[in-house]
Amino acid sequence: MDKFAARLVKSFNDKDLGTHDLDWVAKYRSDAINLVGNLGIPKLSDEDWRFTNLKDFASKDFSTFSGNEATFKKPKLPDHISSIDGFFIYTHNGILVSDSDYPFSFSKIKDSFDTPEIKETLYSQVSDKNKDFFYELSSAFIEDGIFLKVDKDIKIDKPIVIINSFDSEANLKFINSRNIFYFEDSSSAEIIEYSVSNSDNEYFWNKTTNVYVGNNSKVEHLLIENGSKSSFIFSNLKIIQERDSHFTTNSILCGGSLIRNNVHPMLNGEGCYSNILGLYLSIKEQLMDNYMFVEHLKENCGSRQLYKGLLDDSSRGVFHGRILVHEEAQQTNAYQTNRNLLLSDSAQVDTKPQLEIYADDVKCSHGATIGQIDKDALMYLQARGINKKKALAMLIRAFTDEVVEPIDSEKILDVFHNVVNDWFSRSKIMN
Amino acid sequence: MLDIINLHAEVEGKKILQGLNLKINKGEIHSIMGPNGSGKSTLASILAGKEDYEVTDGDIIYNGESILELAPDERAQQGIFLAFQYPIEIPGVSNGYFLKEALNSINEARGKPVLKPVEFGKLIKEKIKKLKMDDSFLKRSLNEGFSGGEKKRNEILQMAILDPIFSVLDETDSGLDIDALQIVADGVNSLRGPEKAFLVITHYQRLLDYIVPDFVHVLVNGKIVKSGDKGLALELESKGYSWLEG
Ligand SMILES: Nc1ncnc2c1ncn2[C@@H]1O[C@H](COP(=O)(O)OP(=O)(O)OP(=O)(O)O)[C@@H](O)[C@H]1O
Ligand SMILES: [Mg+2]
Repeated sequence: MDKFAARLVKSFNDKDLGTHDLDWVAKYRSDAINLVGNLGIPKLSDEDWRFTNLKDFASKDFSTFSGNEATFKKPKLPDHISSIDGFFIYTHNGILVSDSDYPFSFSKIKDSFDTPEIKETLYSQVSDKNKDFFYELSSAFIEDGIFLKVDKDIKIDKPIVIINSFDSEANLKFINSRNIFYFEDSSSAEIIEYSVSNSDNEYFWNKTTNVYVGNNSKVEHLLIENGSKSSFIFSNLKIIQERDSHFTTNSILCGGSLIRNNVHPMLNGEGCYSNILGLYLSIKEQLMDNYMFVEHLKENCGSRQLYKGLLDDSSRGVFHGRILVHEEAQQTNAYQTNRNLLLSDSAQVDTKPQLEIYADDVKCSHGATIGQIDKDALMYLQARGINKKKALAMLIRAFTDEVVEPIDSEKILDVFHNVVNDWFSRSKIMN
Repeated sequence: MLDIINLHAEVEGKKILQGLNLKINKGEIHSIMGPNGSGKSTLASILAGKEDYEVTDGDIIYNGESILELAPDERAQQGIFLAFQYPIEIPGVSNGYFLKEALNSINEARGKPVLKPVEFGKLIKEKIKKLKMDDSFLKRSLNEGFSGGEKKRNEILQMAILDPIFSVLDETDSGLDIDALQIVADGVNSLRGPEKAFLVITHYQRLLDYIVPDFVHVLVNGKIVKSGDKGLALELESKGYSWLEG
């Protein structure tokens, strides 16, 4: 066992996570920690980690964080976040600290293990042949995340805003957030997740969210990763979609020295649709590795992946877009696009499509581009009196806006534009 | 208004303009003709301030001052306009938004008040109508999917809205049908005035029936080899350029 995994196994044992009143919880965690030990930290030789070297990360000694809710102070948020008229939920260093009366229920996972939906969601991994180190790790340490549930036929009319804040107590800590968002049949909601760190803390945030979208439900999700510039963020979003459901997720990545962003929708009922959108905005030495895995399991479903990268300085981006269409999934439409703009000569991006199609009546396409700001376009705008900064902003806005085209929620659009503008005003190319 | 003095310019080490002299006064329309590759668009681009071209000698004086050090947007703000030979497509930037930003930038630089949305809407509607364009085009991306002629018309629309002082039209007539040519020419003629000047680059004397120039120049190998009045264009039409290429 490698040292990194061994340390995690030790802290699992120290915390005695393998024992629980509910047998299934004990077993679920124990099975997962065994896999953590067996798999070991991913290496470059692993096909799914070809472009992301975890050596430096793995050499660090992150100790397990034992929560301290008492130190929680509401973080300072930018206006475009704090002014959202929504249902706010706070987590602090990975631990849920809010408790409010909202038109949906939410609680710490560990306080709700007896809710059947939790077990059901965790065990209904429709297909899960490829085991992932970080996913298993999150299962082993499942405890302090959020269990959120919207009941049948309920339409939540304001965005649910989840603020994940970090402070210096998180420094050099391993923080595990395992969430379950459960949407019963015919419900709808918008979720905005925002993470923020009060200073430049170096933490290891392992965050996994299992989303269950019931029949006929509609969920729009916006994730804004704006945490500490020195943090290591491993994010896993696994979605199970049932019949005629509609799910849209949009990730905007700006924070973190290293981000691995996994999104894995499983279209598990007929007639559902999945929009998997994202924008990675990287500067300095940041590495943003996006691993998309869209799995079509049933007939008549559609999915669209659109990921765009803006890479400045000597930052790096990765896009791995995998589409798997199972034999049963006839009449599938699956599209994938990845576009990148390199804002500096030393920025770099690797993009890789991977299509596996076992049904015969399928429409599938993929495409990737890597380019730079079009000098002639810039000249054209300037030749009409628009100054260079403004012209650049217009071109970049034109590039990024495509990512929010499928989004209906005005509020989500507004937040998106503010986050992008904010990043852009700080980027090197504009300064 | 404009004085081009002994202009030498190169791109990627290739000498293109080789001692070009041209003086344009207020109220005048000049036309430049010349064989393919002689440097007409290069001259236009240099006037507009395109980066790729290096001026190795000479100067361009506009309203008494050299503009060589000015960025393209500063030149535009001072009233220089280039209707491009090949207007480029910019997906994701709508025509309407672009025109508004452009006009605001120029008004701001000239110390004029920025137009209110309603005033801007009115102005643009009026100009669109004049150029017989469709309203829906405002929502479309800048030049994206436009036909050749539509792109050229769009250049003239921009000119009409930005109201420049010195305009360069680089083969704006190429690709236009007869009706469009008339519309474009009307657009140009309505902008004429004692304080304005034009430099019209074309291969066809036909355009000059609509936009009547005061002077016609022939550019060969980066130099003006002959100047004359409108009659010169007719002469070129029948004789070609070989007699000037020496
Ligand atoms: N960016 C460039 N790199 C290399 N050569 C260039 C570049 N731009 C222009 N040239 C060359 O400079 C010369 C002049 O080009 P220019 O476009 O000015 O000609 P023109 O007179 O406008 O021709 P046309 O009538 O065909 O429009 C040509 O030989 C052209 O190939
Ligand atoms: Mg030309």
